Amino acid sequence: MKRIVRVMLLGCLAAPAPALAQVPYDRLVKAESEPQNWLMYAGTYKSQRYTQLDQINKQNVTQLKPAWVYQLRVGGVFETSPVVVDGVMYMTEPPSTVTALDVRTGRPLWSWTPKIPDDVIVIGSPPVNRGVAVLDNMVYAGSIAGHLAALDAKSGALRWDVAVDDNKIGYYLTLAPLAIDGKIIVGVSGAENGIRGFVDAYDAKTGKRVWRRHTIPASGEPGNETWGGKDSWKTGGGSTWLTGSYDPDLKLLYWQVGNPGPDWNGDYRPGDNLYTCSVLAINPDDGSLKWHFQFTPHDTHDWDANETLVLFDATVNGRARKLLAQANRNGFYYVLDRATGEFLNGTAFVKQTWADGLDAKGRPRLKPGLDPNPEGILVYPSIQGAANWHAPSYSPRTNLFYQTAVEMGTIYYKGEAVYKPGIGFTAGGGRTINGDDAWSAVRALDATTGQLKWEFKLLSAGRSSLLSTAGGLVFGGTEEGNFFALDADTGKPLWDTQLGANIRGIPVSFAVDGKQYVAIAAGFALFVYALP
Amino acid sequence: MMKRWLWAGAIGLAISAMPVRAAAQNKADIDGGKLLFQGMCTECHGAGAAGGDAPPLNRPKLLHAPTDAALANIIENGIPNTAMPRVRRMTESETRQLVAYIRSLGKVADVKVPGDVRKGGDIYKSLGCATCHIVNGQGGNLGPDLTDIGFMRGPSYLRQSIVDPGAALPKGVLQVPSRGYSEYLPLRIVTKQGGEVRGIRVNEDTFTIQVRDQAGKFYSLRKADLELLEKQTGKSLMPSFSNRLMPAELTDLVAYLASLQGEP
Repeated sequence: MKRIVRVMLLGCLAAPAPALAQVPYDRLVKAESEPQNWLMYAGTYKSQRYTQLDQINKQNVTQLKPAWVYQLRVGGVFETSPVVVDGVMYMTEPPSTVTALDVRTGRPLWSWTPKIPDDVIVIGSPPVNRGVAVLDNMVYAGSIAGHLAALDAKSGALRWDVAVDDNKIGYYLTLAPLAIDGKIIVGVSGAENGIRGFVDAYDAKTGKRVWRRHTIPASGEPGNETWGGKDSWKTGGGSTWLTGSYDPDLKLLYWQVGNPGPDWNGDYRPGDNLYTCSVLAINPDDGSLKWHFQFTPHDTHDWDANETLVLFDATVNGRARKLLAQANRNGFYYVLDRATGEFLNGTAFVKQTWADGLDAKGRPRLKPGLDPNPEGILVYPSIQGAANWHAPSYSPRTNLFYQTAVEMGTIYYKGEAVYKPGIGFTAGGGRTINGDDAWSAVRALDATTGQLKWEFKLLSAGRSSLLSTAGGLVFGGTEEGNFFALDADTGKPLWDTQLGANIRGIPVSFAVDGKQYVAIAAGFALFVYALP
Repeated sequence: MMKRWLWAGAIGLAISAMPVRAAAQNKADIDGGKLLFQGMCTECHGAGAAGGDAPPLNRPKLLHAPTDAALANIIENGIPNTAMPRVRRMTESETRQLVAYIRSLGKVADVKVPGDVRKGGDIYKSLGCATCHIVNGQGGNLGPDLTDIGFMRGPSYLRQSIVDPGAALPKGVLQVPSRGYSEYLPLRIVTKQGGEVRGIRVNEDTFTIQVRDQAGKFYSLRKADLELLEKQTGKSLMPSFSNRLMPAELTDLVAYLASLQGEP
């Protein structure tokens, strides 16, 4: 009884939204206008992961103190990016649990765990979940069982559940879905299983699938000619395992596509292997393709292009442009015109040894002889990439693109693989040159040119997700457990604390009762910090 | 980088130089397991199971898999709370092949290491190795515990660690620092106040470093307070004994170390 009363009170104190449409689409479009909330995976449809909150700033960040901690009940790799709506946090616990927390205290309001079969297949990543989407009065989450579920935002009760695709042949979900007008968009993991990837749209109310956009063209479709070998397109990978971005004005959905399969032996699939390692601009009404850009044609190093796509507007060569930027796993930072897909700029942001730069259209000029081979060959960046799922941030205040760049090489090996449903289909692998011989750096790049403005070195070759703030800060976390804040203008470290385990979580910021908080998952716990 | 290659090369040599035990699983199983391993396991465990993001498996003793049954169980069920997934949907024969292949990488023959173990033990005492090393609970704590060093390392590696210790700094033995980092890395540190510390790295993160000096004194330092942090990669606090041992004595000392197989 107490719990119900408290939840109702909370609702009364919170936003003046209608009871049955807690987060209508219009609020998502205008997410920037309510910085006290963090309404979707990367903050807004632009995926800038920037907060306009400035209560915590350069002057007072040294005073940050823990506000509360939420401990996982079952351990696991904890990569969540929480969503916060009107005093309630919706976050995911590994492998696929959704939990709602009271942001004032960290006390759980409800928790929901899907059925995961004992023989679930998760190959290619740890069994993680990176977050939820909210729309109207529902919360949406994927699972490693390959399902998408819609939960009642107030109670956690299941409204509907659909199998996105068959986990027995390797499909699974780790990403936060993206909610747009009446639709829930998801992608899939599984490119190490010989899947054929896709982006799906589901009716938000019923769970009925509205469209499916395959990332690998079928026989007879344009692009299929880039798949040599017998039926190689059928097992060609092209997973879509991280959340895309959206431009409601252009009405274009941008989604990133992963590596071709098998990963490290391209002999099975001669050709460019469209649309793997690409970005797709998709019409959200029917899933049709407006344009595409391929970063790494015929990839043989597992440099999938699933990294977050950041949307921003700027003047390039005297012309105002709507832009899309990505720090790609292959080591180059790309800037495209997001209306047309035109390549505008590409600059290496880490040590890379595989390409003599990019040509005028953005295609890499390959150095010869750097494909994996049976004896092994050292190539930079590493098998985990110069970038990966860890989140970049863009600050409109500084026009800087913040990215944790991983400086690491790998000795790549080519092997053989026979496709068998549900079994790894990778044909090789690699040995990373890690430890003292590898490192990462938080780098601030001029967002339009990719030019390095500053860097802050991290000890380990970790994957620090970043959050930039109107308070002039960049928050991140290290592999060794340091939660830190840098000066967004200079990179100077301003504050750090040790959270006791590797930080895989993605920082977000929100406010309640006029107080700003910063949250990040580390080890098996979610930590929330605020000023005293 | 060069040193690391030397070190990795030394291990490779130590393993490949030894013949596989005759009673190994049949070759067809091993070959089948190798193909499966390339498809599923090399991404994390590295080619030839030499280690990558996940630990190397080309060694005789595996932390989580003392027996073949335990290894098969891990392949089928994963290791909870680690990145090691379940690899389900495998037939029994496929699991058997994978186990055969992984075990074949770690099999070391019961060949006799040349040299006189007893004489080697005397040399160990006379050189004062126990000042810095523990064997069966006895000795100093500055360097690695050698109680089961003959089980963990091959004779070539042991020989190199005596002749050129800096090229043979261990990795992946201790739980701290984390895997991949050189253990017992010598440091020279000068603080902004002018103090100097020489010792080995115990642990480190982006903002701090933990050090132990030769006297055993512990230091916790913030990097922002340091004028100099010199990581003496390729060096070791242990001196080279190459000029202090006759070839036969070196062989005897290696034989003694190789005989250290852990407490019964």
